[in-house]
Amino acid sequence: MGRTKDRLEKALRERYDLSYLEHLAAEKKVPVFRGSFWYYFGGVSLFLFIVQVVTGILLLMYYQPGEQTAFESVRFIVTRVKFGWLIRSIHSWSANLMIFSVFVHMFSVYFSRAFRRPRELTWYSGFLLLALCLAFGFSGYLLPWNTLSYFATKVGTQMISVVPLVGPTLMEVMRAGKEVSTATLTRFFGLHVAVLPAVFTLVLGAHLMFIQLQGIAEPESWEGAGAERRRTMPFFPNFVLRDLLLWLIVLNVLAILAVAFPWELGRKVDPLASAPAGIKPEWYFLFMYQSLKFFPATILGLEGEAVGIGLFGLAGLLWFLVPLWDARTPAGARNRLLTYVGVGAVGFIIVMTIVGLR
Amino acid sequence: MSADDRPDGRLSRRSFLDIALGVTSVAWLGAVLFPVLEFFRVPPQDEAAPTSVRAASFKQLKPGQGVVFRFGSEPALLVLTADGKLHAFSATCTHLGCTVQYRPDLQRIWCACHNGIYDLNGRNVSGPPPRPLTEYKVAVRGDDVMVSKA
Amino acid sequence: MTARAWVLAAVAAVAAGLALPGAPRAEGARAAVDHCLGCHAEIGSPEAKGFRADVHFAAGLTCADCHGGDPAQEDQDQAMSPARGYRGRPRPEAIPALCGLCHGSSPNRFQARFRLDDVASAFNSGAHGAALKADPKGPQCVSCHGVHGIAPVKDPRSPVYPSQVTKTCAHCHSDPAYMKTFNPGLPVDQYAKYLTSVHGQRNARGDARVATCVSCHSNHAVLRVRDPRSPVYPTRVPGTCARCHSDVRYMADYHIPTNQYDDYRRSVHGIALLRNSDLNAPACNTCHGNHGAAPPGVGSVENVCGLCHQANAELFDKSAHKEAFDRRRLPGCVVCHGNHRVAPPTDALVGLGPGSTCASCHRGAGDPAAAKILRTRALLDSLSLGREAVEKQLSRAEQLGMDVSEARYSLKQVNQAQVESRVQVHALEMGPLQASAAPGIQVISKARLAAVEAIREYYFRRQGLGVATLIITVLALLLYLKIRQIERRQRKDEAR
Repeated sequence: MGRTKDRLEKALRERYDLSYLEHLAAEKKVPVFRGSFWYYFGGVSLFLFIVQVVTGILLLMYYQPGEQTAFESVRFIVTRVKFGWLIRSIHSWSANLMIFSVFVHMFSVYFSRAFRRPRELTWYSGFLLLALCLAFGFSGYLLPWNTLSYFATKVGTQMISVVPLVGPTLMEVMRAGKEVSTATLTRFFGLHVAVLPAVFTLVLGAHLMFIQLQGIAEPESWEGAGAERRRTMPFFPNFVLRDLLLWLIVLNVLAILAVAFPWELGRKVDPLASAPAGIKPEWYFLFMYQSLKFFPATILGLEGEAVGIGLFGLAGLLWFLVPLWDARTPAGARNRLLTYVGVGAVGFIIVMTIVGLR
Repeated sequence: MSADDRPDGRLSRRSFLDIALGVTSVAWLGAVLFPVLEFFRVPPQDEAAPTSVRAASFKQLKPGQGVVFRFGSEPALLVLTADGKLHAFSATCTHLGCTVQYRPDLQRIWCACHNGIYDLNGRNVSGPPPRPLTEYKVAVRGDDVMVSKA
Repeated sequence: MTARAWVLAAVAAVAAGLALPGAPRAEGARAAVDHCLGCHAEIGSPEAKGFRADVHFAAGLTCADCHGGDPAQEDQDQAMSPARGYRGRPRPEAIPALCGLCHGSSPNRFQARFRLDDVASAFNSGAHGAALKADPKGPQCVSCHGVHGIAPVKDPRSPVYPSQVTKTCAHCHSDPAYMKTFNPGLPVDQYAKYLTSVHGQRNARGDARVATCVSCHSNHAVLRVRDPRSPVYPTRVPGTCARCHSDVRYMADYHIPTNQYDDYRRSVHGIALLRNSDLNAPACNTCHGNHGAAPPGVGSVENVCGLCHQANAELFDKSAHKEAFDRRRLPGCVVCHGNHRVAPPTDALVGLGPGSTCASCHRGAGDPAAAKILRTRALLDSLSLGREAVEKQLSRAEQLGMDVSEARYSLKQVNQAQVESRVQVHALEMGPLQASAAPGIQVISKARLAAVEAIREYYFRRQGLGVATLIITVLALLLYLKIRQIERRQRKDEAR
């Protein structure tokens, strides 16, 4: 077994100059400190994305978009296809876990200030990946074509229309029409399986390349510390094996969730039926949806919802541009403002999500 | 020389671990690949689209014949009359829900349960049924007789 | 007072009396003078002669109370002067309004004393009122009650006395030429049929308590049968018959049961008609006839039931029961299903145990038909009990989250098989019965397989998860150990 490995290696070396890869394997290091646990969430997000791609491609073998066939094909997958229930439930659960993981990864980067110079592009590409994730979640949610997804999409796209000037047009473009219809389904399907995966892969590639070129960010606590405090572990094999271990556990969690809490089929869309009581979007949009409900109908003559969405847009933009307004503090002192803003954001999201769920 | 290497060189803890790891990894791979491969096996029946169904083969239909087929979750009736016209209806009798059939001798649709009779427009003309049968659209594509909701 | 004052007062009183337009005489006191009647009697007018026997004459009315004019005047021109309100012979279409002056909605002095109902409004609201509006030759008060000799209803001479009223109605309703001008679709044989009925025969013998036209169709507000307010609208027919036939005291002299309506109300037919307003369900008249009402003869019961339950009746007629029942003069369908209290038939009717109808003739296991009866019951049970069992299993599978909609759909065929088998029971032949039950039994066993399979799959998934978790846990553990091993070695290498 070992000899085969050696022979393969020799064959590759004769053909390709693998010195860069060897250098990478030998030299790439990961900081070891109290907070290094958070480093894993990037990998977990990547793993969950891979799970999504694999299960997504499998579902694509049987799913058919269309008014007559979307719901029926999902039912077919879940009831007739061998292990179809498993693939479908894993895909749905993994989507939720991925978004959660991406948020955790983003906040851990934020609080550890890893977005600072020279890593601004990594942050920008990461923020873009988060937005793409949410777009994946939103577009994929409609595909089973059941009452929950229909009305959640209706409400969600409705929000876009309150943006002044371009809102209604944007909504029509999203919905592929004035109402949520089969055309919307087709459009979302195209986005979900073709456009978003392509864009995501490109941006992800850039994101990983940036990290690769610059190495993993060092924690703030290392600033000004001596060499003896800077403990590291090799990326290969230590960090990779630990990552794999975590991935294995996450995979098991997914399997348990899929079997114990299978994703339901729901009822097929009946546009003439009224919305079921308590309709709300998926949990990752809930904090926005819920906080918008608290806005009064009009503020200073403008529509309340428009102001709310405007504020969210502004907040998102500021968050995106945090590398720019993150003030460098004198060496040693932590930038309190950033921490407070961050804690405030996390608290707001958690509270609003809980309120929305009740 | 590592302290783990035993003098006899065989099956130290290290290589036992490696073997165990290898075997378990293969088992794991099997546990992952098995569902995926099974997933690709086509299941026995095709899912019928509920608003348009292939009711019968046109070549196999005889004039003056009625065929009961499944339309979504309900039975439906396809009739080819002696003069060559195709009609399709819901086959659930509007009286008490029995499945109706075509009677070539009466040239009408008949329910065996209480003698309800419908004409070829689905209208209830005799017996207890209170309402007509829902009529469906029929289209012939090649050899396929396609029935869809009106 | 001076005499002059007296005369003035008298004149004033007379003037006041004259000033009142055509008002009927006060308080039933016979008018001091009714010269109209007097003169017309003198000239031998039959109306005047008849009026002396009229109930209105007894109440104190004069000719002027209907015809207008001044009965105190002897002079014809003054008595019959339009200036004094003389109307002459009223036009037919104005008669209900005229009679309605007292027998109507406006308050008058006779209402309280004679307890007069507002029959004018009732008449106008009904079909007769509409007919009169359409054509002056139509029916009005005089058509039925007569005029100038109206006897009270309770008087046997009255044309609307029970023993006369049918002839009065028939006067128009049996005349095809007359009825054609009002409702060409209406039959004109009701009176002829009525004469053949028990009601008609008793009525002819002078029984004033049996049903006549008026008993069911009402007298003044006669409504069309298809009018839901009519007492003979299909859903109201049983209640109308029950008015007499459920009244124990009323029916005491006739020695027939009075529980038919009670029974019918609780029966399948009664619930269908009275509670669910299913107009296809039979009412009393469907089986007994309405005008020619009589119970169907013993041998012809299944003909009546067979009008709707054709398949059952045909099979029964060809079965061994037909001859056996005829020999014993048993009334066909009624023997097992009852006549008025027809309960929803259940499989329990078939068998030899308590609650079954077979047992009332076929006593016990020694009876030659016993084996057949038991086999029939077993077949029916395999469908109903089998279906129940399968549905329980399917529910269990669904509770576990498995989809068994295909199997559930197939159970509809069991419905079909059950209905057909229960009809086939009437033929008393095992072959056809088994043929109709077979598809249902097949479906049940297939559905049972599907349910069992679904439940098995549920457990398979959990077991699969267990296996997968085991493998992953072992792998994770080994991986962890490997990591520790590698790192230990790395530390050792660094230390050197």
